[in-house]
Amino acid sequence: MNNIFKFAIYIFLTLAFAWLAFFVGAKNQYGDLEPTSQYLEENNSIPKGADLFPQSMPGVAQLGAKEYLSLGCVTCHTQQVRTIDAGFDVERGWGKRPSVPRDYILQKEVLLGHNRVGPDLANIGLRGYTREWLHKHLFNPQILVEGSICQPSPFLYDISNERSSGAINADNKADDNVSTIFIKPSLRANRIVSYLQSLKQDYELPEMSFIETQDEDDTEDIKLAEVGTAKDDQVGLPTWLADQIASGKEIYSKITPGGGMCVACHLPNGLGQPGAIPPLDRSDWVLGDKERLIKISIHGLMGEVVVNEEKYVGVMQGFGQPLGSPLNDQQIADVLTYIRNEWGNSVSAISPEEVKAVRDSEKDRELTAMWTEAELQKENSSD
Amino acid sequence: MKKTSEQQIDQSAKFAFSFFVASAGLWLLAAALLAYIAAAKLTDPLFLSSWEFFTYGKIKISQANAFVYGWGGNSIFAVSLWIVARLSQSPVRGTIFLIFAGSMWNLAITFGLLGILDGHMLGHELLEMPKEVWPALFISYLIIAFLILVVFRSRRQSVTIAPQWFIVAALIWFPCLFLFAWNGLEINAGRGTLQSILSMWFGQNIIWLWLTPVALGCAYYIIPSVLNRPIDKYYLAIFGFWCIAGLAPWSVVHHLEGGPVPMWVPAIGTVMSIAMVFPIAVASTNFHATAFKDISRVWNYLPLRFVIFGTLSYTISSYIGVIFSVPAVAKLTQFSIINEFHFNQRVYGFFSMIIFGMVYHILPQVTGKEIGTAAKNFHFWTSALGVFALLLAYLIGGLTHGVLAQQPSLAWINVIESVKPYFLITEFAFLILGFSQLVFVLNLWKVIVPNPFSCCEKNLEQKTA
Ligand code: HEC
Ligand code: HEC
Repeated sequence: MNNIFKFAIYIFLTLAFAWLAFFVGAKNQYGDLEPTSQYLEENNSIPKGADLFPQSMPGVAQLGAKEYLSLGCVTCHTQQVRTIDAGFDVERGWGKRPSVPRDYILQKEVLLGHNRVGPDLANIGLRGYTREWLHKHLFNPQILVEGSICQPSPFLYDISNERSSGAINADNKADDNVSTIFIKPSLRANRIVSYLQSLKQDYELPEMSFIETQDEDDTEDIKLAEVGTAKDDQVGLPTWLADQIASGKEIYSKITPGGGMCVACHLPNGLGQPGAIPPLDRSDWVLGDKERLIKISIHGLMGEVVVNEEKYVGVMQGFGQPLGSPLNDQQIADVLTYIRNEWGNSVSAISPEEVKAVRDSEKDRELTAMWTEAELQKENSSD
Repeated sequence: MKKTSEQQIDQSAKFAFSFFVASAGLWLLAAALLAYIAAAKLTDPLFLSSWEFFTYGKIKISQANAFVYGWGGNSIFAVSLWIVARLSQSPVRGTIFLIFAGSMWNLAITFGLLGILDGHMLGHELLEMPKEVWPALFISYLIIAFLILVVFRSRRQSVTIAPQWFIVAALIWFPCLFLFAWNGLEINAGRGTLQSILSMWFGQNIIWLWLTPVALGCAYYIIPSVLNRPIDKYYLAIFGFWCIAGLAPWSVVHHLEGGPVPMWVPAIGTVMSIAMVFPIAVASTNFHATAFKDISRVWNYLPLRFVIFGTLSYTISSYIGVIFSVPAVAKLTQFSIINEFHFNQRVYGFFSMIIFGMVYHILPQVTGKEIGTAAKNFHFWTSALGVFALLLAYLIGGLTHGVLAQQPSLAWINVIESVKPYFLITEFAFLILGFSQLVFVLNLWKVIVPNPFSCCEKNLEQKTA
């Protein structure tokens, strides 16, 4: 220690070893990750023509990342969904699966962050917020979320008292005629919103698939509690879920094209008609197996069915079929989420991806070929 | 004979020391102001919100940088210069270069912070200042460190003691750390989360391997020299030193637990963080076993009171830090405002308190003028109160935050509502700290920058006498 040069070398080495491990070592291990497909062939090669993930952000979103960085949003927001053992991020609905290194390889600014004063944003693009909502939130979060301490950026907007084209009503009063604050997003604001919308890890990778939290017993209780409070107090719901339920309710009750007309047969109270139309309220079909529920929603159901130990005979056409105006995956997901959380029901949500997965697995089935209970049972046992 | 040589050394250090301390003081005030603004914005987000310049993220990040590089850097230069010169019994040389490099350092930080506030920040922890200022910072640092090491090289005794190891090591660590990080972040930039590992590594190490060792070195210097007794169990110090050197660079990455990085990275970090109990125990035994043998002297000599406050806070909070790196606990608190607790305990509760003590100790010897006792006492008690309130609020607030965040059924806004009262406390704490530091800096400047009138009066008095 008495020789400064020797000492300096030791001091240098203490750092050099750690750096070799954390940077050079880690780089060797995963520095050359490439985008890949969701599922690999047997020999671990990428199937021909498969979509590769992650995909790079649109150019405007990349510009938005720079703005996001320059405003220091990372001081309060992380962009990483932790593994199941490390925390309840997935249960919180912050992602369908934990984030993995591959998700970030195409990002220029990797802003994992390590403070969560605000929620994680790794999947903010999946929470179903509209551009308008995001703009209002960026302008002043308190308009939308009472008591929010997310930091406002009013300097990114042109504010006026008059309504004009392209302006967003940013008053507490939703009615355009009463409102006195209208904002017009600047270029930078648009970039940030595009960036936020592009943040989503909505694909599976060979090393990480989606995590079903909803069907596990212990988390089921939590979900029940969540929806339970939601009825008394909408604030208790995560916004994406509240949105899905609101949209589902609309589809359920709308009998004009674009709606699902469910209300016409199953009635507003979800009780149906004895013997002919089965109830949805506390029905074991609604609360049970998601896949079965999605299947009958797409293709329909006919013949004799047993719901809550009662027999019903009738026909329900699938809402996915091209007669009239079919519902798309998102709409089916919404309406099913709604009926699973209305009346006495409260269980997990159904996502458009889940609907799509079922639709894809049944793509050879004719859209007009309705299911029967017997067929569903057979299919289930053959699996 | 010995006295005169000490006086000569003090004289040689006077100008450079005063320069660094005076600039450190200004940065401290700047950081205190920024810290207060940031804290106020958490209680009222609309406060100053219409100016982009004052956006929370920018303020928060420039505060950390002003604190670490402005206050931390300048005060490190000041105290290391003086301690190294004193221990080597060798005068400071090249004052003019020190002043030149010091001005460059301060100018670069000023531009860097303006760059951050103007929206040009980089995304790496504590490397946020724009690229352009780093060469200037780095070169000016090298000049200063080189001149301090020159003094060290020309020391009278070849045997070195604990304060020298810590201070010299810190001086060498910073440029190495910077080069490693810069290489991996800008020159051979790794893709994806490799950047995050390295940025975390740098940002935490700058605290652990730059601020911390200098403060420890100060404590190893001042305690025995004021109390006039050797450090208790001094033979352990070398073990403590190499433990920090060997463990800290590995331990700092445990914050990545569960994140999108290879699992072994946070795993190593966790193990090494827990192993940090050894160096903490060593430093704590060394300091406190010595200090408590003559506690009345510690209490009565204010600089030492500051230093022992710092070392106690170091011990307690570092143990708390170890507890929070145990995976079961880390799961709760990983991303909560406990992180603010760690940062603030290290930079305020530990580093700054020790530096305050050192400045009060050195200043009279170098300038021959004392700061009034009342002012010093005011500074001590308000700092102690502020730090205590701040850390307690972040600790309890952090636990609340972490525990509630782990309940998926609780909407996020409700989690934040429960943490808000603690934000309010921190706002007050920063206000108190700001006042306390204002008093400190005003007095400091009064001593350092000679008031032309009072000096004339003195001369007159002397002549008439
Ligand atoms: C002081 C810390 C803080 C900063 C800085 C901050 N946020 Fe937030 N953010 C929050 C909090 C707290 C919430 C939760 C309350 C709410 O939804 O408004 C939130 C919520 C959000 C949400 C809604 C997330 C959801 O899932 O509902 C978005 C989007 C968002 N922030 C974007 C940003 C952007 C963009 C920036 C940078 C300009 C930013 N935030 C800066 C604290 C912060
Ligand atoms: C034309 C009347 C009609 C409409 C409209 C209708 N259903 Fe049905 N639904 C039925 C009948 C009849 C059955 C029982 C089918 C059988 O007996 O094979 C049924 C069965 C079901 C079942 C399974 C049994 C149960 O109660 O759990 C679900 C779930 C369901 N419907 C949901 C919906 C939803 C959601 C909509 C709106 C998108 C909807 N239905 C629209 C008539 C209808």
